[in-house]
Amino acid sequence: MPMRKTILVACGTAVATSTVVAKSLEEILRDRGIDVVTRQCKASEVASMISGVDLVVTTTPLPGNLGVPVIQTLAFLTGIGKEAVITQIIQALKL
Amino acid sequence: MDTFLSALKAVIDSLGATIALPIIIFFVALILGAKPGKAFRAGVVIGIAFIGINLVIGLMWGALSEVGQALVKNLGITRDVVDVGWPSAAAIAFGTKVGLWVIPIAILVNILFLVLRWTKTLNVDIWNFWHFAFIGSMVAAVSGNLAYGLIAAALAAALALFLADWTAKAVQSFYGLPGISIPHLTTAPGVPFAIFTNWFVDKIPGLNKMEADPETIRKRFGVMGEPVILGLIIGLILGILGFYNAGDFQTVLVKVLGLGMNLAAVMLLLPRMVSILMEGLMPVSEAAREFMQKRAGSREIYIGLDSAILIGHPAAISTSLLLVPVAILLSLILPGSRVILFADLAIIPFVVAMFAPLMRGNIVRMVIAGTLELLVGFYLATWMSPLFTSAALDAGFKMPENALSITSIGDGFLWPPALFAQLVNYLGVFGLVIVAALLGVAMFFYMKNTKAWEIAAGAPKE
Repeated sequence: MPMRKTILVACGTAVATSTVVAKSLEEILRDRGIDVVTRQCKASEVASMISGVDLVVTTTPLPGNLGVPVIQTLAFLTGIGKEAVITQIIQALKL
Repeated sequence: MDTFLSALKAVIDSLGATIALPIIIFFVALILGAKPGKAFRAGVVIGIAFIGINLVIGLMWGALSEVGQALVKNLGITRDVVDVGWPSAAAIAFGTKVGLWVIPIAILVNILFLVLRWTKTLNVDIWNFWHFAFIGSMVAAVSGNLAYGLIAAALAAALALFLADWTAKAVQSFYGLPGISIPHLTTAPGVPFAIFTNWFVDKIPGLNKMEADPETIRKRFGVMGEPVILGLIIGLILGILGFYNAGDFQTVLVKVLGLGMNLAAVMLLLPRMVSILMEGLMPVSEAAREFMQKRAGSREIYIGLDSAILIGHPAAISTSLLLVPVAILLSLILPGSRVILFADLAIIPFVVAMFAPLMRGNIVRMVIAGTLELLVGFYLATWMSPLFTSAALDAGFKMPENALSITSIGDGFLWPPALFAQLVNYLGVFGLVIVAALLGVAMFFYMKNTKAWEIAAGAPKE
């Protein structure tokens, strides 16, 4: 049983685009048998929310050097290139 | 049958968004091709979101009403229009009678514009259709005519497509987002302010050379830029101003700290509740995106997204950090304005994001343009607050007795809703004709001289 991974999803509001990303991620990864927890935050809050997080997925630019992998993507919003990003996310989680 | 229908209408009218919206959303999702189970869950979740938002708004209104009255007594300034924040505005807009119909209306407008080749933008950002509903709700409130509101919402959807096309090249090159445009009516209305500020600042020696480094500003403000801390600090400041003479030391301390914690709680809880609304809307927006993408064909299309994807840029964040104290100060000193700012200080990055391409991320200029837009906004908001308040009642939000009027920076401070509502207020249906004509003229000149317009909005010259 692998450890449950935590993904922090960031956008400008922690309401709109990050909800789309977080819910899609939960659904897609669950369908592939991967158990994840997602948390949402604003871009300005990432630094305070980073502890205990395995991966950050963001729809907007973030400051560098967070100490965990960061994937910036619009694929979950546009539907374009979604599969490639999912592969990238699974690799970043080292599963 | 008639009795049944009128009874149904009465039920929908009295229960508002908690009942009516879930039913409408269920059917809209089904029509767009979502699975029945998902569509049903989406409707239920949206109803739950409205219940949650209502709870948090109740908390906020309670806290702000008390301190608002105390401020009037202590400082002698009338600040009876309370900023309830864009999450409330979005919920109100979706909850009104215009909001019930906004999703199908805006999708139809978008498909019509694509077929006629009047736009390149495919607006898949269903969530932000609330801006169109907001404008429609203001028009419906001022005219008392639902049809006018629905037409206004359709025109607003068209306006968003035009502004998205116009600014697309600027956004794509500055933010590095190929194929994306931003049909977002909190962000795009800033462009005229940015054009004016650039023109003005270029004429002032010294100021026209000034720059500031975004990273330094962001680091220096640190945790202060977070909405929760901002809410706490504003609560404490308002508390001290309002309650310093409320009784003995213990009473004052309890009231001040209590207000600070209440407002900090609102800053965290309100967006959480609204994200439930977003979660409920997701199956609809996914279905709508697939529905529209299938019909868009293969020519060059911009995908219209939420400006939330621009907000992480250092120029946008730093500018808004600097604008928060400016906004609070304006809120306290502007003569004739009745607005007290609170919940929407966190939305300022959305207001300024579209300045950045035109100003090459120059924060000095962005702060000037932002100050200007806010300054105008206070007066637009003061004027529009009765309409805003009646839209909230239409959406079934419970307001306390003798409640204050309400507004929010997004979109109560902005010129598109004010323009629509003013014109309809004075001219009735001709106001809508004028809006349509203005939009038509702007689109005509844009299509005739696309390159020059794009450069004016900040696109690179090459």
